[in-house]
Amino acid sequence: MSHFSFAIDGSIVGLYLLVTMVAGIFVRKYVGKVEHFLVAGREMNVFLGIASLAATEFGIVTCMYSAQLGYDYGFAGATPGICQAVAMLVIGVTGFCIKPLRDSGVITIPELLEKRFGPRVRWAAGVVIILGGLLNMGIFLRVGGNFLVEVSGLDTKTFPLEWMMTALLVMVAVYTILGGMLSVLVTDFLQFVVMSVGLITVTALILYQIGWDKLAETVSSSLVWERVTDADTGVAIDRSEKLGTGGFNPFVNPKLGWSWVVFQILIQTAATLTWQTTIARVLAAKDTATGRKIYTRTSFFFVCGFLLPAIWGIAALVDFPRLPESSPDWSKDYSMHMMPAFLSHFLPVGLMGLLLAAMLAAEMSTDSSYMLTWASVIYNDLLAPFHRHRWSEKTGLLWNRCIVAAIGVFLMFYGLWYPLEGNVWQYLAITGSIYLSSMSMLLIACCYLKWANNWGAIGSIIFGALFPASYLVLQQVPATKEFAGSIGDNYAGIASYVAAALAMVVGSVLKNQIRPTSASPTMHEVLP
Amino acid sequence: MSFAEGFWWALTMAAVVWYSTVTVYVAVRGAFDIRSMLKRLDDQHRTENGDST
Repeated sequence: MSHFSFAIDGSIVGLYLLVTMVAGIFVRKYVGKVEHFLVAGREMNVFLGIASLAATEFGIVTCMYSAQLGYDYGFAGATPGICQAVAMLVIGVTGFCIKPLRDSGVITIPELLEKRFGPRVRWAAGVVIILGGLLNMGIFLRVGGNFLVEVSGLDTKTFPLEWMMTALLVMVAVYTILGGMLSVLVTDFLQFVVMSVGLITVTALILYQIGWDKLAETVSSSLVWERVTDADTGVAIDRSEKLGTGGFNPFVNPKLGWSWVVFQILIQTAATLTWQTTIARVLAAKDTATGRKIYTRTSFFFVCGFLLPAIWGIAALVDFPRLPESSPDWSKDYSMHMMPAFLSHFLPVGLMGLLLAAMLAAEMSTDSSYMLTWASVIYNDLLAPFHRHRWSEKTGLLWNRCIVAAIGVFLMFYGLWYPLEGNVWQYLAITGSIYLSSMSMLLIACCYLKWANNWGAIGSIIFGALFPASYLVLQQVPATKEFAGSIGDNYAGIASYVAAALAMVVGSVLKNQIRPTSASPTMHEVLP
Repeated sequence: MSFAEGFWWALTMAAVVWYSTVTVYVAVRGAFDIRSMLKRLDDQHRTENGDST
């Protein structure tokens, strides 16, 4: 039974939504050009950038998959946060790739790639970015809606999940369509504050009421289940073992191990370099030094973003032990629902409203930024051949607004029909790798490898997308599902990064051998 | 407490303290950033409108 109170918690949520909508719509009057709409006129300063980046990269889906990682793997499940924090700190301090990227004055990564590898690479890069990005974002609404319904205990017959998702999306779309990046930044700021207060308060309450010792003891003594086939009888049975130190160390965790850690390092480094919503903050910064400071100073937030919800998931493990597959209550996604189920009875009235406002803030800031960012790639890169130097600022703005609306419609329908099963984070990591593997390789090659050329770039895009996309298809086809399972998410993901790097080397070397006179311009030559 | 458990304990405490502090600091400084950003954009609009008339 949820502690949600319509009068108190509902008022807190309502007030938050009202303030956000007013602020988001208010700044639309400052949008006069496409550059204002997509990168806020490049006027963003450090602290607004920190708030915006942190709010964008933490949505309800982040909270859900981090809590699921905590529930399934204990503290070891928060390792991706450490990987991302280290990557962000190193890249921010050294300016690796992001310095030449911001210095070039582009709006998107494909725009920079065109300067070295030509318009076809720009277009192909735009396609994989959109494919990976939208597949990735497609599940946000469903996961977010599930969380809100489960925590608040709303009756889905009276308040259908689909209608709640639609209402949330319409609110986000209204201010994003009207104010673009300016509305996103201002609402992100408000959402960062609300979201952070909620995250810190709930975590502090868990640490105070349950206590560290109980959480740690629960992790080490909890059982992990594995379905195995008995060699003699051929019957599937559930076998369990204590998680023990595997709950604190990913290398010895029976469900994680070296391949998982290597995949996390690769994906988090690639995401820090090329994830369009992250990189958009560097591109919207008022100068390169500001962009680097935003990265450096936001880095530790990613430890918090994974660890605090993981603690919520571990707290759920105290009340709801893991289940074997033979249990009637087991389902492929049951571990995703444990954290909301726990919070629904753990939080008192008032704090429940704060949590819901915080999570709505997290979801809205993420959705608005993602819609705008993928719209910027569609407009700036995919539609570039049609509008280059031909469309007025007014026409460009109208197109951008229509694209944001179209992405909203896509999200609603994709989120409704895609059957999300198993580990959410692994799904996001695989779909993200469709473009992260090749784009990170292309960006590094573009900035630093003089011998790289468009043959290598095209090869990298194709082979980088091939492995994760094929793996996703194999997973969905009943005949090949078992084969996909034998490969596993981690090796499919690692393969995409290896393939993207190899294709870049082989393709570039081949072209340099066959057509040595048609070398691509160096980064030094393309910078303004 | 093992080393690995101690590591996560220290990281949890650091996360709660750091995040609480940064939230307050960013909330204050970010508000000033918004004000100055909107002022600069307003100035740009005025200049562009002035140029075009």
